[in-house]
Amino acid sequence: MGAIDRRLAELGVELPPPHIPPPDFANYIPFTRAGNLLHIAGEGPIVDSELLYEGKVGREFSEEAGRAAARIVGLNILTHVKVALDGELDRVRRCVRLFGLINVAPGFNDVATVLNGASDLMVEVFGEQGRHSRVAIGAVGLPLGMAIEIESLFEVA
Amino acid sequence: MAGKIDAQLKTLDIDLPDAPAPIGSYVPYVVTGNLVFISGQIPFKDGELTYVGTVGTELSVEDGQAAARQCALNILAQLKAACGGNLDKVVRCVRVGGYVNATTEFTQHPIVMNGASDLMVAVFGENGRHARFAVGAGELPAGAAVEVEAVFEIG
Repeated sequence: MGAIDRRLAELGVELPPPHIPPPDFANYIPFTRAGNLLHIAGEGPIVDSELLYEGKVGREFSEEAGRAAARIVGLNILTHVKVALDGELDRVRRCVRLFGLINVAPGFNDVATVLNGASDLMVEVFGEQGRHSRVAIGAVGLPLGMAIEIESLFEVA
Repeated sequence: MAGKIDAQLKTLDIDLPDAPAPIGSYVPYVVTGNLVFISGQIPFKDGELTYVGTVGTELSVEDGQAAARQCALNILAQLKAACGGNLDKVVRCVRVGGYVNATTEFTQHPIVMNGASDLMVAVFGENGRHARFAVGAGELPAGAAVEVEAVFEIG
């Protein structure tokens, strides 16, 4: 068990199983690696093939619920990072970037707080190496009507 | 002599368009190390913007897909220029980002974006498979229905 796995256990965090979209619906793969950069595709709050947050933040969901959804997305991201690194999360050098797309009702603009659900998770798990650059936007809509989608980039060994 | 990817394009009966000029103060692509970053492409075809409007109202999902495919053709044109004309230098398609001008209740963005993703896989095979995001946007440049950006690794 690596240091990051131990850290996840300390935090009481269990990574969800990887969700891979059916190719006839979405023809992409969960991650690609080019050199030391690991690109993780846009992830949603989907666990065991169930979309847990369907709707808009500011309408169906509060800012707090949006933040909880962002944390689940963060966990899905970590799942794919772990798969990409053959189970060795200790090979993460740093979280480089998060791109947070939040499905918002008109007028809701607290997207930064919502995305903190994922950003805080990265820092809890990776410490200083979890601190990242980031973009947060309010989207008109998202695939499947999911409340949040996050694309991410990691530097890995 | 035409390369393998040029031959594949011919097999697919695809004539790459001329790479569209940027419509703002930016460059169409940047090469840094082994990565090529292609700026967001909109569905220009022969100098005309095709597929203007919102998917879910003026435009159908199939229109959106066709728009995404046209964006992807323009991406390949830019990529070819970035590779000095030799698409065989492409190691893989790393990432595709898709912005769909869509209504607030539209949820089929992945189907729309397959218009671009399917083309990458048809052209580059397994190396065309990529990470991706798709999002519904309120407005896109010049009223375009779809905008697609991409990152490639080249050798």
